[in-house]
This record gives sequence, structure tokens and C-alpha cells, in this order.
Amino acid sequence: MFKYILENAGNINWMAIAALITFFTIFILSAAVVLRKDKAFIRKMSMMPLEDSFSQPTETENRHEA
Amino acid sequence: MAQVEKFHYDNAIVRNFAYATMIWGLVGMLVGLIIALQLIFPQLNLGIAEVSYGRLRPLHTNAVIFAFVGNGIFTGVYYSLQRLLKARMFSKVLSNFHFWGWQAIIVSAAVTLPLGLTSSHEYAELEWPIDIAIALVWIAFGINMFGTLIKRRENHLYVAIWFYIATWVTVTVLHVGNNLELPVSAFKSYPVFAGVQDALIQWWYGHNAVAFFLTTPYLGLMYYFLPKAANRPVYSYKLSIIHFWALIFIYIWAGPHHLLYTSLPDWAQSLGTVFSVMLIAPSWGGMLNGLLTLRGAWDRVRQDPVLKFMVVAVTAYGMSTFEGPMLSVKSVNAISHFTDWTIGHVHIGALGWNGFLTFGMLYWLIPRLFNTKLHSEKLANTHFWIGTMGILFYAIPLYWAGWTQSLMWKEFTPDGFLKYGNFLETVTQILPMYAMRVVGGTLYLVGNIIMVYNLVKTVRSGSFISDEAAEAPALVSTHGVHKGEYWHRWVERRPVQMLLLATIAILIGGIIEIFPMVMIESNVPRIESVKPYTPLELAGRDMYIREGCLGCHSQMVRPFRSETERYGEYSKSGEYIYDRPFLWGSKRTGPDLQRVGGKYPDSWHFNHMLEPQSISPGSIMPPYPWMIRDELSLDILPKKIKALRTLGTPYPEGYEQIAIADAQKQAEQIAARLKKDGIELEGLEKKEIVAMIAYLQRLGTDIKPKAQATN
Repeated sequence: MFKYILENAGNINWMAIAALITFFTIFILSAAVVLRKDKAFIRKMSMMPLEDSFSQPTETENRHEA
Repeated sequence: MAQVEKFHYDNAIVRNFAYATMIWGLVGMLVGLIIALQLIFPQLNLGIAEVSYGRLRPLHTNAVIFAFVGNGIFTGVYYSLQRLLKARMFSKVLSNFHFWGWQAIIVSAAVTLPLGLTSSHEYAELEWPIDIAIALVWIAFGINMFGTLIKRRENHLYVAIWFYIATWVTVTVLHVGNNLELPVSAFKSYPVFAGVQDALIQWWYGHNAVAFFLTTPYLGLMYYFLPKAANRPVYSYKLSIIHFWALIFIYIWAGPHHLLYTSLPDWAQSLGTVFSVMLIAPSWGGMLNGLLTLRGAWDRVRQDPVLKFMVVAVTAYGMSTFEGPMLSVKSVNAISHFTDWTIGHVHIGALGWNGFLTFGMLYWLIPRLFNTKLHSEKLANTHFWIGTMGILFYAIPLYWAGWTQSLMWKEFTPDGFLKYGNFLETVTQILPMYAMRVVGGTLYLVGNIIMVYNLVKTVRSGSFISDEAAEAPALVSTHGVHKGEYWHRWVERRPVQMLLLATIAILIGGIIEIFPMVMIESNVPRIESVKPYTPLELAGRDMYIREGCLGCHSQMVRPFRSETERYGEYSKSGEYIYDRPFLWGSKRTGPDLQRVGGKYPDSWHFNHMLEPQSISPGSIMPPYPWMIRDELSLDILPKKIKALRTLGTPYPEGYEQIAIADAQKQAEQIAARLKKDGIELEGLEKKEIVAMIAYLQRLGTDIKPKAQATN
């Protein structure tokens, strides 16, 4: 039955092959780009969650709910 | 140097979502515990429609996925987005609309699902008016998020935000794609696609609900909260970039692994398998990135409950993303599919990954929102150990149960007969495992209750910071700066371009799978003898949907000798062309029903629905007395016939006018047969049970050779 479907669904093998090629192209390209990035920039980005504020606000600056 | 601006983060919306997470977590897990108990004590179904297993199961899955995890996502996103962008949320009105709209949707789900109002698409059960409400609230969330991105003070977008963007766009595409349906009444609709097409769309959605609702947003939270809690940056930011692009590109393809060995065309199954196996690379890259973030901080993991929860969460992510590709290999899937192995697998993800990351986040977040310390670290540690034990007691027995039952299904005697020909034998064998699962679930819920107590005490001891003061330099225009720099650094400054790229990445997989699916509509081999359902069968089918029968019964005989011996001829795609929605199911707590038509007399079904244990002693099926008590409503039938004809079912023009009379005639015939078998009940032909019997007796008979009359 699968053979029947495949024979009648037109030439669709290229889709699977194209998908695989697209994936590996994107994967290799992004890996190449990422590996070439400069270290200072990467360090800056990775520190972002640890630097929430430009400067830590004092306790009194926070507005507390009554 | 740009001028430093002062502003305030909105913590109120974060607090609201955190409260909702805690409340719905308790509700969702409690419903899970109730249905786990119903599986070992079927009398707990109480003979009441609204609390029977089939109706409560989708309530449990929806409550945990969309209420507990959904609110968890929004808690983390609203907290981290503001801080990573150094900006207050774009609109307080939209934030509140999002919060209250989402809670209203959850409440409407909690009302409609027990009432049996369901589309039967797993994890997308809610009917069309609620689907529209979800779309509106989701769009409001999107506008609020992108509005904040536009008014941000930080040039570059941290990787967590990419995960949020990909989540938003993909969930939008999935929600629309899987809910293309034609309304028949206020709470009834039929999907546009039927049979195999509907199955592929549903599992493209179903799998990606796991991917883009339970995984990508939580990875965003991991990349934000884990470095926060560990007080050190992520192990490799470069790896996180590759993790992101590879993951969102591959994930979208993997849906067909839910349909291996079914009537779905083989090429689609293979595509699902290949991409599922490939998924292990980015998933494990992400997991290792998370765990390695703790390098040099493992001494703190011993002390800090927040880090403990997060370590187990990331480990559970690794376990379930190893198991997922393994279960997608066809030979493994032949054993695991339809068994409790799958249930064990998803709970490693839900309890371990989502649950524990949520708990870790809440333990970290609540004291900070309330400017205080956690009420009791000891209680948090107790929660951690009880929860961990809960996960183990939940998952291990179910792995055992899955293997045991699957092997029993497949075992033959030396003479070539099924060793366990009675399906029930394979169920009673694993009931002790189901009991142990209840122990696991109870432990996990107790841990959660301890957390809520601990956090409530923390809230009471603190003072809420509704608007947290912050300051940051204004955003400097970077026009032209990107000359000569890498494209990715350029993208990282542009949320809209990021949105477009992410959309393209997820659409490639979706389109390549769905395009041939539309194409094969004309290529699913038509079977001459397969005809549309009669009006009464249609009414019965909609009752089957209402009661959630597909939660326990599949309608898909796979092409294995062990299945064709037990159930009959394996299923063909051409048999389902009028099935809106498809009802293949994904779990066999009871036997497959695809070939049940004509297997038993009508009276067998009547007695079985009234009291399953009277026919099959030891059965764990709930009773359905209301089907025998309640009158069958046929008024809506003409509308249903018209809607289905619009969608392509070849009911003749004007058939809707005689549909009710046709149904009544068939009902009288069934009632007469029941009477002949000694079932006396006044007005039997008007009861719901006759429609259910009509449907069950039709199942799979289209391609069964009719019994030949003998001389």
C-alpha cells in the first residue's frame, strides 16, 4: 500500500533530501558563524542575566505595596 | 554616553502569574491523582458523567500543560523579559488582559471538559469559541512582548528572548493550524481535515505543543534563571546559539513519530523518525550547557534548594530527550506505543523538567518579589526529596507496566495462538504498577502542597515590591554599526528579523510535511465499500467523543501479527476518509475498537456500558448508566449532516431533512434486537445507548466480508 501511495504521490523523495540538506547547511553555517564570534561580545551576552540593572537601586527607591 | 533613564519593573503581573501557577498546579495534579485512582478503583467514577475518567483525563492534561506550565511560562517571561531588555512591560492593560483572559480560558476549560464539550484532538480539546479566546489572549501577549522589545534599552537580545519569540510564533501557527474547524453549534464543530490528514495535523500540533509550549519557553527560563540562581554565566553562550537554531528547526518535523506503524504514509513516518533521532544532538547540547553552567558551583547545589530543583529539572530534560528519539525508532515504538511507557516518558518531562524548573524558579522568585528570605529552606529541601521520590515512584512502575503489557500483547503459544487472548488479563497484571503510580503522584502532590505553604508564609513575612526601581542608559541608535560584523550579531539586535527567521525555520518543516499531506488527499486509496456514517451512528460517534473513549481505546490496528490475530484486519487509510475528527487514540488501557463492529450482540454492549464488570469481571472500565437513562437528542443532526457535506462527506442534497427519521428507524431496529435479547426498558429506542451501540457495531465493518447466507 505504501508503495502505491508513493508511486501516486508524485516525486516527493526530493523533499526529504532537501530537508536534510537544508538542515545541515543551516547547522554548519550557524556553527561556523558562532565559532568565529569575538570573545568579548560573547562574554558580554552571557553576563546579561547577571546584570539586570545599570546600577542596583537602593531599597527606598523600590515602591512597596501597602 | 547616553543619558541614564530611571524606570520601574512591573512586578505585580509577575506575582499574579506566580500565584496562578501555584493554584493551578495543585488543581491539575489533584485531578491527575483522581484519575490515577479511578484506574485502580473504577467505582470512583461514581456513575456520574462529569467525573468519569474519559472526561477528567483531558481536564488533567489541559490543567497541567496550559494552566500550571502556561502560567509558569508567563511568570518567568514577564520577570526576565523586562530585566533583559531593561524596560517596563509595554502595556499594563495588555498584561492584565493577558492574565485575566488566560485564567478565564482555564476556568472555561474546567467547566466545558467535564461537560463533555470537546473536539477530541489531544491537548487541543477545547471547542471553537474557547479557541478564538485563546487566539485573542495569545495575540495580546505577543503585542505586549514585541512592544516591550521595541521600547527596550538593551541593544542585543539575550538567547532566552529568542526562545520566547520562537515560542510565540510557533504556538500561533500550531493553534491556528490544528483548530481549523467548521462550527455546527455553540460548542460543537468538525475539523476541516479528516482521517489520515487530521491525524497528521493533530500530531504535528501535539508533538509541537510539547516542543514549543513545554520545552522552548522553559529553555528560555533555564537560560535566564539557572545563571541567576548559580550566580555565574551560562557555560557556553555559543552553544546556546547553536542549541536554539538547531532545536527550533528540527523539532517541528518530529510529529509523525506519534503515528508509526499506523495508516500514515511510510515516507511521513520515516521523516518523523529521522528528525526525532537528530533531535538528541541539540537537546543534549542544551542539557549539557545547563549542567556545565554549575561547574565550580556544585558545592552550592548541596546547600541551595533552588539549584537542586534546577539540576534535577535539567537532568530530567536530558532523560526525556534521550528517551524521545529512542521511542521514535520504529522497532522500539512497536513495543512502546499504546502502552504506559509513553505515560512514564511524558511524566519525566512534566514532573521533572517542567515541574521542578517551575518550583526552582518560584523558590528563587517569590522571596525577591517580596524583599524577604524564603520562610524555610528545610521545607524546600523536604519538598525536593519528596518530589524526587514522587517522580521515581511515578515513572519506574509505568516503564515496567508498559514493557510487561506490550510483551503480553505480543506473546504467542507454541501452537501459534495468542497466549493472552483476553485483553483484560494484560490489564489486571499491571494494576499493582498503577497502584505504585498513585503513591508517586501522591508524594509529588504533597511536595507541591509543602511548597505552597512555604511560599505563602514567605509572602506574609515580606513586603511586596510592586514597582521595582531600575535605571539604564537610553538605547543608542546603532544604524550602520553592523557594517562588517557577523550576521548573527546583527540579528541579535532586531526582534522583528529574529521573528521572521524563526518563523522561516519552523515553517520549512511544517510545510514540507503538510504540503504532501494535502497532496495525498487524492492519493489515499479510496475503498468502494467505505460509506459515510448513518445519522444515528454519527450521533453515537459524537457521544464516543463526548465521553473521551479515545483516552483508553485506540481505533488503529497496526500491521503486526499479534494485532491482526487479536483484533482482525490491519487498518487502511481509506477506511478513515469520513472520520472527522480521526479517533485513532494514543493509549490502550482497553482494547482496540477498530474491528469491534459485529463482534458482540447489541445486548452485550448494552450490559457492558451499564456495568462493565458484569460482563468482564475485573474490568477497570467506568460504567455509563446515563446513556441508558438519558434521552437521545437528535435535533442537531440536520446541522451536522449539512456541515459534514460542506466539508466533503458525500451525503446527498436534502438528506438532512430525512436524517432524523432515518436515525429513529435505525434506533427502533436496535431497540427491537435488544428486546429480543430480554432487555425491557420503556422508550429504549429514544435512549442514548442505542446511538452508541449503532456506532460501535459499525466500527470496522466497511471492509469486513459480510457473512454468506448458507443453504
